[in-house]
Amino acid sequence: MHLFLLGVSHRTAPVDVRERLDFSSRNVGDAVEALATRPSAAESVVLSTCNRSEIYVASGDPQRAKAEIVEFLADYHRLPADAFTPHLFSLDDAAVAQHLFRVAAGLESLIVGEPQILGQVKEAFQAASERRCTGPLLTKLFTWSFNVGKRVRSETSLGEGAVSVSFAAVALARKIFGRLAGRRVLVIGAGDISTLTAQHLRSHGAGQISITSRTPAHAETLAADVGGHAVPWDAMLTVLASADIVITATGSQRPILTRAGIESVTHRRTEPLFIIDLAVPRDVDAAVGDIEQVFLYNIDDLQGVVAENMSRRGAEIARAEAIVAEEVSRFAAWQRSRGAIPTVVALRQRFDAIRRAELQRLDGKLAGLGPEARARVDEVTKLLVEKLLLDPTEQLKALPDEETQIAYTEAVNRLFRLRDEDAPEARSPITPADRRRS
Amino acid sequence: MNLLPLLLYGAAGAAYAIHFGRREPAAGRAATLLLLLAALVHTFVIGMQTMEVRHVPFANPSRMVSTFVWLLALSYLYVEVTTEERGMGVFITPIMIGLQLIPVFNPGVENMDPVLDSPWFWVHVSSLLFAYASFGLAGVLGLTYVLQFTEIKKKHLGYFYTRLPSLQVLDVMNWRAVTVGWAFLTLGVAVGFVWTMQARATAPESPNLQAMSLDDPKVFMALVTWAVYSFAIVARRTLGWSGRRAAWLSALGFAIVLLNFVPVSYFVTTSHTFQ
Repeated sequence: MHLFLLGVSHRTAPVDVRERLDFSSRNVGDAVEALATRPSAAESVVLSTCNRSEIYVASGDPQRAKAEIVEFLADYHRLPADAFTPHLFSLDDAAVAQHLFRVAAGLESLIVGEPQILGQVKEAFQAASERRCTGPLLTKLFTWSFNVGKRVRSETSLGEGAVSVSFAAVALARKIFGRLAGRRVLVIGAGDISTLTAQHLRSHGAGQISITSRTPAHAETLAADVGGHAVPWDAMLTVLASADIVITATGSQRPILTRAGIESVTHRRTEPLFIIDLAVPRDVDAAVGDIEQVFLYNIDDLQGVVAENMSRRGAEIARAEAIVAEEVSRFAAWQRSRGAIPTVVALRQRFDAIRRAELQRLDGKLAGLGPEARARVDEVTKLLVEKLLLDPTEQLKALPDEETQIAYTEAVNRLFRLRDEDAPEARSPITPADRRRS
Repeated sequence: MNLLPLLLYGAAGAAYAIHFGRREPAAGRAATLLLLLAALVHTFVIGMQTMEVRHVPFANPSRMVSTFVWLLALSYLYVEVTTEERGMGVFITPIMIGLQLIPVFNPGVENMDPVLDSPWFWVHVSSLLFAYASFGLAGVLGLTYVLQFTEIKKKHLGYFYTRLPSLQVLDVMNWRAVTVGWAFLTLGVAVGFVWTMQARATAPESPNLQAMSLDDPKVFMALVTWAVYSFAIVARRTLGWSGRRAAWLSALGFAIVLLNFVPVSYFVTTSHTFQ
């Protein structure tokens, strides 16, 4: 059984191709079930996110599986095969494990270390396993990848630190206020980043969101978008007095918040005030940052935070790659040990057949023994076989690389004539003549 | 007998440092377990000493320091367990280790002056030790608050930013520790005052009791400590002194406590040396 992967990702295909091969808009479970009707792809998982559509299969015939998956993609998405085949990439065995482990760790993501991907990998596997499309090999591969993802997250800081301006602002707010539940937000002026930031704050539990704009209609629209309420422009400072987080993004040419203005309403304030100035030119006078309770961040400061986080993530990539490499080699060792199983099984069957044949031959001589003594003889011979095979079995399972394993299994096959159709015990028990020969 | 707790505090401190530096969760769990073990062993040591001298061993300054370290460890563990934040361990264990060196190298003799044989004595000493342990926690929380506040204010989100709990958590815990500490300090000082008055009637010739006045540095410093923390509480309520100012005040308060607790107790005071 081999692992095989065929798919497209943001590295191999432009967005229009990825869109056409996307499974996530429809039910992935249906897709994987449709795929599993093809004989060489009976064990399969479909992983589909906005950056990738990948099909993982465990197949005895990878070449055939490849042809069948291409056929399936064309059928399922109603596309001519040549519309996407140039963008496909494929991987085999250990390379599949390496790829999936890197995906789960967030190393293959567009934004390295982003946290959603591990959940998406889990969902993809779950969808396939609910439809009974996964077997032992894919189950092992995917559960292993979840652990790799977890290890990378807990042992490195690859996923730490916000890498977008709006998330950086939310992370800062959480560092200042702890939980954001019940915190009041004031948005001054409507813009894309300010909307996004307000939405992120809301999703982290921020309470009341007030929005003000020189054009009341803009404030109303934004309020509807983020679930807040619009307040008149003139009431800005009054609302600010009880706000915890202020986001400004107006097109004003002159600062709209000055130190004197803020001090007039925050006098004797005990709680911190976090002001995020996303406007260029700035909306908030730099001197506001000197007020004891005020933390003032402008767009450059936040971009600086993002750049720092990016470089910190960059420094963690090598550590994450090392974890992936270690896990890939452990997975490959596990897979090799699985490769030895047919030989081990054949070896055991061969030994047991010899044992049973010999016991049968001695049946007459043992007739005088009571049932208990005969059971003991049976047990002793079984134990003998077990003991003789213990070391060879462990050695075969623990071989360091595939070549050695092939050489060893071949040697074992020949030494014990495991593939021989007319192996000696199939003919007759070992006779005294056999003994003389040896 | 104080050496084993010291070694365990040392081991816990090292584990907290590794946890803080490398941010390894396993090191953090090990640190908590080691500190828990240290506190248990220390409980046992104090229990043994109590049985040996037949009263809680804080009639000599070294054993009092040892009891203080034990209370600090327990209070810190309580905070750590309730907040699930281990970031302060690296700041608090050095205080435990440093102070525990005193009873190890200068065990002193537990020899109780009959004057001290009063229930008031236990209330006085134990409430003050508990107050000081709370102030120790508040001081460390204040220090970490200032470190992190400075990083956020100056927009250098670096070492402490990624390792410490949020400012809000630090501020709230600091406030709790200060108010609890202040309540016990008030109780301890008030009991000390009342009890001195009573004891003077029964043992008028005791030199310690003679020296028990505002002129004595230990008494004076205790009142300064009380004034500092009272101001911290009032200022927070009326002047809005929370955050960084409150943090600085609690760090200053604990510096005075430490000064009073070690150098003044050993070398300067004449009123609190019952031997």
